[in-house]
Amino acid sequence: MEKVGFEFPIISVSLATPAIFAILVLLFKEKFAKYIALLGTGLVFLISLVVLFKFDFSKDNVIQFYEEYTILKELGVKLSLGVDGLSLLMYILTTLVSLIAIIWSIGDEKIKHRLKEYYVAFLLTESFVIGVFTTFNLIVFYTFYELTLLPMLFVIGIWGYKLRLYSAYKFFVYIFISSLFLLLGIASLSAYHYKVKGFFTFDYLELVNLNIPNGFEIFLFLLFFIAFAVKTPIVPFHTWLPDAHGEAPTAGSVVLAAILLKMGTYALVRFNIGLFPDAALELSPYLVALGIYSIIMASWMTISQTNIKRFVAYSSVSHMGFVVTAAFLLNVEGLRASIIEMFAHGLTSAGLFMIAGYIYNQLHTFNFTSLRGAIKFMPFFATITAAIAFAAMGLPGGSSFWGKFLTILSAREYSTPLAFLVIFAAFFSAAYVLYFLKTLYLDVREESILVHFKDVSGYPLVAFLLIVIPVLLVGFVPFIFFAFYNEFLLHLLKYVLKLPF
Amino acid sequence: MDLRALIGVIEIPDLKKFFPEFILLLLAFILFTLELFIKGRERKFVLNVVSYVGYFAVLMSLLIPWMYKGDTFYGNFTNDPLAVTVKVFSILIVLAILPFASSYFSAKRSFYGEFYYILAFTLLGVFILASTYNLIILYVSLELISVGFYILTALLKGSTEAKEGAFKYLILGGLSIALASYGAAFMYIYSGSLDLREILTYQGKDIHYLVLGLVFFLVGLAVKIGAVPFHYWVPDAYQGAPTPVTALMASVGKLAFFIPLVRVMPLVQEKFSLVWTITVGVIAALTMLYGNLVALVQKDVKRLLAYSSIAHSGYIMAGAAVAKVVGMKAVIYFLVAYAVMSAGAFLVLALMEKNPTWNNYMENFYGLRFNAPYLAFAFFVYMVALLGIPPTVGFVGKALVFMALSFDKLWWLAFIMILSAAISTGYYIRLVVIMYMHEREKEIQAASAHLGEKFSLFALTLASVLLGALPSLVWFFVKLSAENLFTG
Repeated sequence: MEKVGFEFPIISVSLATPAIFAILVLLFKEKFAKYIALLGTGLVFLISLVVLFKFDFSKDNVIQFYEEYTILKELGVKLSLGVDGLSLLMYILTTLVSLIAIIWSIGDEKIKHRLKEYYVAFLLTESFVIGVFTTFNLIVFYTFYELTLLPMLFVIGIWGYKLRLYSAYKFFVYIFISSLFLLLGIASLSAYHYKVKGFFTFDYLELVNLNIPNGFEIFLFLLFFIAFAVKTPIVPFHTWLPDAHGEAPTAGSVVLAAILLKMGTYALVRFNIGLFPDAALELSPYLVALGIYSIIMASWMTISQTNIKRFVAYSSVSHMGFVVTAAFLLNVEGLRASIIEMFAHGLTSAGLFMIAGYIYNQLHTFNFTSLRGAIKFMPFFATITAAIAFAAMGLPGGSSFWGKFLTILSAREYSTPLAFLVIFAAFFSAAYVLYFLKTLYLDVREESILVHFKDVSGYPLVAFLLIVIPVLLVGFVPFIFFAFYNEFLLHLLKYVLKLPF
Repeated sequence: MDLRALIGVIEIPDLKKFFPEFILLLLAFILFTLELFIKGRERKFVLNVVSYVGYFAVLMSLLIPWMYKGDTFYGNFTNDPLAVTVKVFSILIVLAILPFASSYFSAKRSFYGEFYYILAFTLLGVFILASTYNLIILYVSLELISVGFYILTALLKGSTEAKEGAFKYLILGGLSIALASYGAAFMYIYSGSLDLREILTYQGKDIHYLVLGLVFFLVGLAVKIGAVPFHYWVPDAYQGAPTPVTALMASVGKLAFFIPLVRVMPLVQEKFSLVWTITVGVIAALTMLYGNLVALVQKDVKRLLAYSSIAHSGYIMAGAAVAKVVGMKAVIYFLVAYAVMSAGAFLVLALMEKNPTWNNYMENFYGLRFNAPYLAFAFFVYMVALLGIPPTVGFVGKALVFMALSFDKLWWLAFIMILSAAISTGYYIRLVVIMYMHEREKEIQAASAHLGEKFSLFALTLASVLLGALPSLVWFFVKLSAENLFTG
């Protein structure tokens, strides 16, 4: 991998901007907090659009806009920032979803107290997540990865629903503990590099070239995998997620599902496959099996939910199952599916959580059976819900279609039964969405419940439109999104499969 | 007897290298005299001012040993980067703790003039301990520190807790010093020398004397450090002592008592390196597990921090189990890091304790963010740092220890460390949640803090983030200290 600089340190500016606006939020009066936050996230989104237009898509495996600041020379700790195709996609997703989360929060009547801290938490999260997706130094990555925990702990714990404290604990404890394994892995990798090459480094580009003996490579792979499997999550490690996502405030769930989960899958592709290709190849059958198991189990759990937020949360787990399965199939279509599904799920899950939040604000309950049949009184909302839910189901034209379709294609490259297994899993994930839609649209409404329905308008409508438009964009013209990481994908695969470049 | 032969043996001590200690000794005696003769209202003021001026003078004078490295007093007193590092940081932390002392004692409606000169003598002990290899000098300086701590712990009149803590500390400390000197005797039998460098590089036949001596010596030190199973004094002494003194014991005390261990690390040879790794490693594993497990059930936050201090001894010892340059850098960095974090955490308690309705029980912390926002934020930073969230100092320390452990392939110790850090999440995060996410149970006004206290707490809070985010600020101290010991 090469790296190319840029005349202006644009990535570090976009990393620092939300943090600076967070300080501004603290300095000004509480009533201005939301507008300052909106301004900050909007500005970062514009910066990310500049990055998007200046990005050279023909060389998307090259790290562009590269900048580097030495923090500790002896140990090779450097704040190295830059974006390649994969990073860019996640970076755009981060800035977009953060903007949406702030827009939603302004219109959310549940957010009434401790506004300054609320917006500071969201702005800091955006800063840290940008750091996660743009850094190429493992210890800096770990720093940002861990730092995202703190603002989210506060968001869940302070503005969450009934079980918020329990969920906040659980969220923090699960992810913190699992990431200690990652820290050990990173430290071991660096120490090994010292033994081989004579100097410590955490630089991804240096560590990629390291030849690690097989047993040690599998050990390191597993250390990294534990952390990212909990973060992603993959089924036996998923139990923190329904609580955290279910009890967080709507904007918190949006950020959690849309971008914080992507940190896990992004890291699986970038580090577990990129740094330990042999181990990934060796373990791929087990990981694919785990992924498929994850899809099926999570889909079953989803169907049995009546709480709409937990419903969406479990559906996230099943989507993440697709991402993991596709990534570890380790062929072109699989990785393509995995990465587009990350982006697509970022949008649809954000949309679904906002639907849940909207229903709660209207009915003051998360039980979606109480809305049965009544969605027709809110035509705009019904249209948006249908668009997002069908997209999440994987209907052609929706964003998740490409992820699922390409996963099936890539499984077909190995064997037809495997493809059928994936189709079987996909069937379950379609079933829960259909069940959800049936409840909302087709069930007969109980006339005794009197609810005043107000159709979506104002800030929530803007937030929904910012979701629906990219969802349809991914659905109908996926090729512009594939172009983000085409070269990256091919290079990664050639590297993993030891093919000539 | 030829006089010239005799003069040849007598080396004139190079007092330049002893200059900071000399000033400190002078300061201690001046404080002692002033305490005796000045009465009335200005006593507090004079003692404070003289202490500040004296410690600043010592801090400045530390530039001199930085320039003149080497041995003096027949090799009994060594000036090297490690010694200077320890001295600089212990002076800085004493300067941070000093503003809290007089206002804390006046909040308890008493004043103790003896605090000032005992502090100076204790610090003198730290200084000498930091720069000696000689077992006798080591013994004397260890006792100088410990006696200071015994008295300071028992300082509060009428507090039975303080007396109990000091008594336990005294008995176990006495036991430890007996063990350490027994170990020293074995080492003397082995090599015929009291200098640790000579003992450990001596190629004797009876290696078991050396191993026995080293183990006794380690056990003696383990008591001072507060390692399991010799930790019984720690919670009681830490809880009973006046809180600024607890801050001192946890930070400067820990920093000092680890130094003999650090000095032995480069001298660990091939033939007993396994004994070293296993002894230190097992003690470390027990210490971190026990400290964190017991901290989990504490109701009193001061006692909880005492157990967390035990646990941190374990983390630092885990680094010391790797007798290589990497391990030593981890140990030195972590010692400095822990000194900053723990001093800060205890000092927050010291400030809150000035309010008579406050006790350190957990329920007082409910909704502390509403009662005392700035103090709560400072305490939040220390909790996060002690837990080891990047980019705080605690994280860098843990990362360095992990690097050292994987360098030596001590995976079992690394996994025990992960386990115990995992356990520690329970209580640190509980405090954060209690302070920020619960409603307040009672309204507690934070007592007003004067400028010195505010500044010192601000500096410690900033340091515990900044030294982690930009470790290069202290790294040259760490690097020089470690590499000098290994390469000479």
